[in-house]
Amino acid sequence: MKIPRLLVLLLLAVPAFAQSNQTWVLDQSTLTYHMSHPLHEVDGVSHAARGKGICQALQCNFLLAVPVKSFDSGDTNRDLHMLQVTRGADFPIVTVRFRLLQSDINSPDFNCDLDVVFAGTTAHFTHVPFHQVIKGTSHHITGTVPSTLTDFKIDPPSFFTVPIKNEIPVRVDTTWHQQ
Amino acid sequence: MAVPGHHSESTTASLIKATSLCMVLAMSSFLPAQTTAALPNAPTPTNTVLAANEPPSPAFSSSADIDLAQQAATPPLNTRQQTPSTSTPSLSDLGLTPAQTKPDPDLQARLDRRTHMLKVHQELGLYTVIPIVAACISGAGATPSRNNYTSTASRDAHVGIAALGIGMYGATAYYAIRAPRVPDGPVRGGIKLHKYLIWIHAPGMILTPILGTMAFNDIANGHKPGGIEQYHSAVALTTAIAYGASIIAVSWPIHLHL
Repeated sequence: MKIPRLLVLLLLAVPAFAQSNQTWVLDQSTLTYHMSHPLHEVDGVSHAARGKGICQALQCNFLLAVPVKSFDSGDTNRDLHMLQVTRGADFPIVTVRFRLLQSDINSPDFNCDLDVVFAGTTAHFTHVPFHQVIKGTSHHITGTVPSTLTDFKIDPPSFFTVPIKNEIPVRVDTTWHQQ
Repeated sequence: MAVPGHHSESTTASLIKATSLCMVLAMSSFLPAQTTAALPNAPTPTNTVLAANEPPSPAFSSSADIDLAQQAATPPLNTRQQTPSTSTPSLSDLGLTPAQTKPDPDLQARLDRRTHMLKVHQELGLYTVIPIVAACISGAGATPSRNNYTSTASRDAHVGIAALGIGMYGATAYYAIRAPRVPDGPVRGGIKLHKYLIWIHAPGMILTPILGTMAFNDIANGHKPGGIEQYHSAVALTTAIAYGASIIAVSWPIHLHL
């Protein structure tokens, strides 16, 4: 009689094992790129990012994606120019992939290695610092990706024949919750 | 004769073996299926750029390759020292449809052409400021002084400079008008005022030379311009101011960082 009980336990363990995955979903996001020009300081904002994280075997894989055309700098002309120079029609989505140890999920500060695919080019950013505030079930994570135009082989756009600065830091403000 | 108890035990053992085999097979089929399902369908990058402090990794032909190759070939980093994960989210997991992630080469070509034409528009527009300002200055000396209606040199110079300015203005306008339209919702930002000001300087650029020609003929006939042509300089000045404002408007707001 002991063997069938063991069998039942084993069979029950299969769905339990399958349920051990944790899934994280992006609730809200604000991604802001900053662009500098001798005549202008411009911020382009997008709230259209989508994200998901799957934790398995003590490690979490996250994917965040945002349409290039969703960034709004407050000027239609500039946004279309941005879409052109970043080849946003050929590569409409920016994707960011990163991994976290499950033990870091609740850390107030952690570093991430990011793989960013943008404008048809993959750039790797190491040890990007992020800050986290946990309120109830929501994890509010902020940080800045120190990206540059050369990281993505983007020719600097110019205004009145003067090119913009190479540094285009992207501020990340996201809120995640565990599903 | 088989012993009933022994038969029961061997049947149970066989059952356990069969169940274990089924579980192993089920697990082995479950894991690859998840890995395959997790393959991303991100836009295809053409090349890979790494930060300066990172060792080079092989070029990838697609982002699916990137993920697989990164799992296999990327040097382990402090956060990657765990066993490779079998479960990574994909774009379809985020609810993005293939239509949203599909490249649109036609749109890219339109954007490229639009940017090229608007760059020419911008540069030509800046250069056009020179003959327009020169025409305004030379216009001050083009009026007959002390009732001297015979000297035409200053008027001819003014006409020549103004004609150059109007020609360049026409070329500037051509590049803006012919630039492909790309729908992007309602117009926002400085470009809005830039477009409104067209309604002042475009008619002004047509009216100014007409009134100027009429005034020129009046002076050539030996009398002071009267009628509508007497407003030539006022119309020209309004046009020039609207043109200058149009350039400033497209640059607004200006934060000087020299």
